[in-house]
Amino acid sequence: MTDRLRLAVTGAVCATLSLAACGQPEQDSVVNVFSARHYASDQEVFRAFTEETGIRINLVEADGDLLIERVRADGERSQADVIITVDAGRLHRAEQAGLFQPAGDLGGTLERVPDALEHPGGMWFGFASRARVIVYARDRVDPSEVQLYRDLARPEFEGRVCVRSSSNVYNQSLVAGMIAEDGPEAAEEFARGIAQNLARTPQGGDTDQIRAVAAGECDVALVNHYYLGRLLNSQDSAERAIGEAVGIVFPDQGQGGTYVNISGAGLAANAPNPEAGRALLAFLLSERAQRAFAELTNEFPADPSVAYDNDVLEGFAGYEARELNVNALGENGAEAQRIFDRVGWP
Amino acid sequence: MAISSLAIPRRKASGRTGLHPVWLAAFAGLLCAAPLLAVAWLAVSGPWSDYLAHVAQTRLAEFLVNTAIVGLTASALAGVIGTGTAWLVTRYVFAGRSLFQWMLALPLAMPAYAAAYGWYDLTQGAGPLGGILPTLHGPLGAGAIFGFVFYPYVYLLARESFSAQSADAYDAARTLGCSPLAAFARTALPLVRPAVAAGLALVVMEALADYGTVSHLGAPTLTVALMRAWAGEGSIPDAARLAMLLVTITFLIFMAERALRRRARQTSASGHVRAFRRQPLAPLASAVAILACLTPVLLGLVIPAARLGWRAAFTPAATGLMDAAVNSVALAGVSGLIAAGIGLGLAYAIRTRKLAGRASARIASMGYGVPGAVAALGVLIIFGTVQGWLDSSWRSLAGSPFPLALTGSVLALIFAYQARFVAAAIGPSDSALSRVTPSLDAAGRTLGAGPLTLMRRVHWPLVSSGVALAGLLVFVEVLKELPATMILRPFNMNTLAVTAHNYAADERLGEAALPAVLLVLIALPAMVWIARRITATERARDSVPPSDAIPGMAE
Repeated sequence: MTDRLRLAVTGAVCATLSLAACGQPEQDSVVNVFSARHYASDQEVFRAFTEETGIRINLVEADGDLLIERVRADGERSQADVIITVDAGRLHRAEQAGLFQPAGDLGGTLERVPDALEHPGGMWFGFASRARVIVYARDRVDPSEVQLYRDLARPEFEGRVCVRSSSNVYNQSLVAGMIAEDGPEAAEEFARGIAQNLARTPQGGDTDQIRAVAAGECDVALVNHYYLGRLLNSQDSAERAIGEAVGIVFPDQGQGGTYVNISGAGLAANAPNPEAGRALLAFLLSERAQRAFAELTNEFPADPSVAYDNDVLEGFAGYEARELNVNALGENGAEAQRIFDRVGWP
Repeated sequence: MAISSLAIPRRKASGRTGLHPVWLAAFAGLLCAAPLLAVAWLAVSGPWSDYLAHVAQTRLAEFLVNTAIVGLTASALAGVIGTGTAWLVTRYVFAGRSLFQWMLALPLAMPAYAAAYGWYDLTQGAGPLGGILPTLHGPLGAGAIFGFVFYPYVYLLARESFSAQSADAYDAARTLGCSPLAAFARTALPLVRPAVAAGLALVVMEALADYGTVSHLGAPTLTVALMRAWAGEGSIPDAARLAMLLVTITFLIFMAERALRRRARQTSASGHVRAFRRQPLAPLASAVAILACLTPVLLGLVIPAARLGWRAAFTPAATGLMDAAVNSVALAGVSGLIAAGIGLGLAYAIRTRKLAGRASARIASMGYGVPGAVAALGVLIIFGTVQGWLDSSWRSLAGSPFPLALTGSVLALIFAYQARFVAAAIGPSDSALSRVTPSLDAAGRTLGAGPLTLMRRVHWPLVSSGVALAGLLVFVEVLKELPATMILRPFNMNTLAVTAHNYAADERLGEAALPAVLLVLIALPAMVWIARRITATERARDSVPPSDAIPGMAE
């Protein structure tokens, strides 16, 4: 890249993102991303970022726990600038290991993110959210029966509930949230009720739970909302039919709100390209990126003001989300898993 | 570990080769064992919490029972399928036999978790076979998947061993009035036991170390327990301790197997091998043989791949697959070659019967029984530590940290692959080398051959197919490897396995199908080549003078 072009790009970055402290971004024409996500939306966002800023993206995608160990093992030699994961629990653990540094307010863009989706100390933030919802068989269940999470734990639902294994982090985070909100006893009571009501040994992923409800193996299931969104937006009519056979309930409306988790990111503690890292973090909250998450991944944008073209997701939106700060999901994750072990939720 | 000691026990070594690559091989072996030792160190030195006590009080029994069921189901299926099909293709003539020779090895190229996703998707209630077949799930389902995709380990080793067997004992048994089946059970089967045991060792280790399949099918084994300690509890030392429990269990199984085998020593006394003549089968028997060879290929490869492919038809193809394929082939090819070399070296090290050689081979093998994520963690610890040393010593010399970052390089990847898979290379080389009897060495030396000539002209022709098999196994393993590849690869470098996994983990089976099928296609030429090699040695042996054959028995 010629110096003049680089200067122009630098200027453009500073202008578009109104970053006060741009420092010496000519050293930062690249940003190293360690991501636990692998979605088409992210490829689109990264491409757009390079297009708008001229900053190249170096990407490593791996499972969250291994990513954290890699950054930890590399220590001060770590090449990571930005760390992205799909669960608040992983972000919490990375933060506890000292892998993040505060990224600042990202030129004001961070103000658009609700406080509940940010680390209280400013170490990471959510750029998209996912709700843990109830799906029910339209032909067999009256939605008024399943308005609360704890409805699924009632004796009426014995042998009618499908949910994936408790090894899955989405279930851990749900019960971790309940521990924070209602205390460990209430959370354990809920988990025990679910374990007793299981229609089958937990197996498969969230999509498989929805399929099981549609096929009549069970009547209700706990899943993340975007799996249903993906089925309803599928090009395959058989997939859409499965999505249409079930209804969706955002539980605990008026009772504290539906539990949400985040896709989140933060600036790595030893980032070799901190300015480029900040630029990317700010870009994740830009309208273009927020739209991509909503349209390509069926996630709710962290910035509630962003408009997007996805009728299915728009149909889901407007629910009341928990005010609980998602950091609590990480803090209580280990306790949640011990509850699963005790109540026998496999 | 047992697979490294498959060698048919030799008479107390009198005529060794005189070659001593032991020290080099021992060093390579220990290097390969380093990540496992790092995990062991973590298990010993890490802080203790009450987590293990909690697991012991709640779910440990369930984890252990599931582990046992998965391991037993997988070995029973793989043992029967692998040995049976190997016997059919080496002993009988039927339509498609030469095709089946290499096709039977193909399911090995199918990642187990991909087969599990495909089968589960087919047989779950909402799937096309839901209600017709029972849903494939739980420990039995997971064991079945491992049996379907890993039986080629048994098949490949058993076929090698069957085709090296002399027909003498079998023919004698037939002459004495045994039925073909009884003759097989009483003569051929005992001779092929070391090879079958080696294959089963690989099957069981793969099955017990697997995470993707058992977690998807709802069969929580010990591996799930250790991943829960890591991911859920956040206690890596406790995960390391559970990994050590897993390693100990596999170790005990194979020590027991070795002890059993020690009672059944055999050597081919004369060094004279009279090959079997393959018997043509009657039409009905031929049809049965074809069905028996076709079914495993369908179950392990065609059906799950077709299901994934069916889903792929409704989804746009992933981008960057060509680059991923090139990366996969390059990494797997280089690693296969290196591993074949190290494996042969370690096989020689075992042969010299020096303690250091045998111990290093055994330690190097143990990495195979560890779940991939834990092995990758071990590699990270090693690289982190070495980097720390390099940085501090470089700083004292030059005032700056060491200029090279170790992780995120191809070098790191290849090291990780060796550490994890060299066990798969030791077994075949060792079992091939056991064919070189001490008397052969002695004869060669008497005729004036130096160590190198001996190796080139006597050993290599005898062991080359075993070494090629070793390289092939590691090639296929590296093609499928996930955790280490994901976490140690350089920026922006994808492989087919990583691409397939990323989509499958995200519950997008359609997109996962194409990279998974490409994996199989890449393995294909290697499988064909190795099948050719083995049939070539068979052809050479088939040309023994006809006077050796018992008239009327052979054909």
